[in-house]
Amino acid sequence: MAFETGRSPAVQITPRQRWSIAFSYMLIVIGLLLGVNQRDSLLNQTSLYSNNTAGISASYPARWLLDESQDNVFRIRDMSHLGFKTTIEVRSLPVGADGAERNLLDHLSLQRSQVFIDYSVLGYDTFRLPDDSQAVSMAYTFVSRHASPFLEGVSSVVNGLDILTIRRGQALVVSFRAESSQYERELQTFYRFIETLEF
Amino acid sequence: MVRIPQFREAGASESYGIVPVWRRLSLLFIFLSAVCGFMVIAGEALTIALDADLSRALSLMLAALPVILWLLIAVLPEFRVERPRRRLIGVAVVSGFTASARGLPLAQAFFVVDQWLPLQSVFQRIVGFTLTVGMLDVGLKFVVLRYLIYPQALRVRSDAVAYALASAIGYSFYLSLELVWRLEPTWNHAAIYVLSSFTIQAAASLYIALGIIESYFADAFPLVLPVNLLVAALIAGLAQALLPGLLSGPLSQAGSADRPLFGLVLLLAASIASVGAAYFLYAYSERREREAYVSHEGADGI
Repeated sequence: MAFETGRSPAVQITPRQRWSIAFSYMLIVIGLLLGVNQRDSLLNQTSLYSNNTAGISASYPARWLLDESQDNVFRIRDMSHLGFKTTIEVRSLPVGADGAERNLLDHLSLQRSQVFIDYSVLGYDTFRLPDDSQAVSMAYTFVSRHASPFLEGVSSVVNGLDILTIRRGQALVVSFRAESSQYERELQTFYRFIETLEF
Repeated sequence: MVRIPQFREAGASESYGIVPVWRRLSLLFIFLSAVCGFMVIAGEALTIALDADLSRALSLMLAALPVILWLLIAVLPEFRVERPRRRLIGVAVVSGFTASARGLPLAQAFFVVDQWLPLQSVFQRIVGFTLTVGMLDVGLKFVVLRYLIYPQALRVRSDAVAYALASAIGYSFYLSLELVWRLEPTWNHAAIYVLSSFTIQAAASLYIALGIIESYFADAFPLVLPVNLLVAALIAGLAQALLPGLLSGPLSQAGSADRPLFGLVLLLAASIASVGAAYFLYAYSERREREAYVSHEGADGI
């Protein structure tokens, strides 16, 4: 078998071909940059939620599902996840004049320990809200299992973070829950949500 | 200054001893479509419940089917001709590694198309897939072809088509393998995945080849190659945006079932249309070049 080893005389590319290759690289780079731009604009696209009765407004990711049917003021979930759906939940609780933030968090923990599997509080901390006021945060974890016993699947470990602040005799609890593998990444979405939250 | 057209070095007489590529490409499509079609029809007609391990093994073998057919139909005959295309396997291997090292990680982890594109409108999905996955796949394959074959391995026009097909084979093999390994589809669904992955990559690669041919052999206007790359990315984007929706059945109270037979027919129609259009453009360009060469020689009185 005779392979062609030497370069043919036509192997040198002309200036026009050189430009052609350069334009091709430019097209690929510009195309990919436009793709990044479209990804960012669609991933960070937000919708405005406003509830005049509760006096709450916030911007949430447009691709997340809004749910107002529960006891909460509202709840938003990222339905694109296959396992546990990343959730942000906003609840408004009435408090007495002597109601302390820590007491409310303990009350929430007691409620959850009866509902969530293997619920455990990881710690408490302070949290600075966008208007520079102080709030209390509570980190916790639990195990999430499919609601239907007929659906086969592996349970997920979920990390959660509650932010609690009291104003005008009302406590606002903003809860963030995500699968532990997604938690750190999704936390940025939660912080962006908190920045737009007005109460 | 009189410019000597490169057609002189790459004329019809030069194609002596070189494996014809379009016939091989058609045979590859026919055999692959026949095998995948048989699997899909068998899966629909017969209620065979294969053991999970056997089904997985069958699916993995299906992922390798385009490579095996390509080796038998396109690469093996190269060893029997006087002037073989000796970089075919190299281009396929490097393209496969490129898909593994750059293409898929960038599409899944950087562009995260699964998170934001499937929920958009049809138009946004087409534009999105074209500018992300389409541009990425086409860009990477073009870079591989540019550095491995352009211009040193190009002797005749069909060389570009053969190497572009090799690039598509390597690239689609890794994508199919990863998909079959990760999603563990049933064997008849794996057949659709493999056929669609190969069809998308091969159709896009043919337009990259047309761009390279026009640029190198016809010394075309500098924007011709980038426009061909854009068309290739658009084909990849269009197919990836529309295929999943067309493969799924309409939503009803009983749920949504897949439509593999419909998908198969659609894929066959898409592959015939894209290969046919590419061949038409290839043949037209070649004829125009030959006519220009003949008239050039006539004018010189040679």
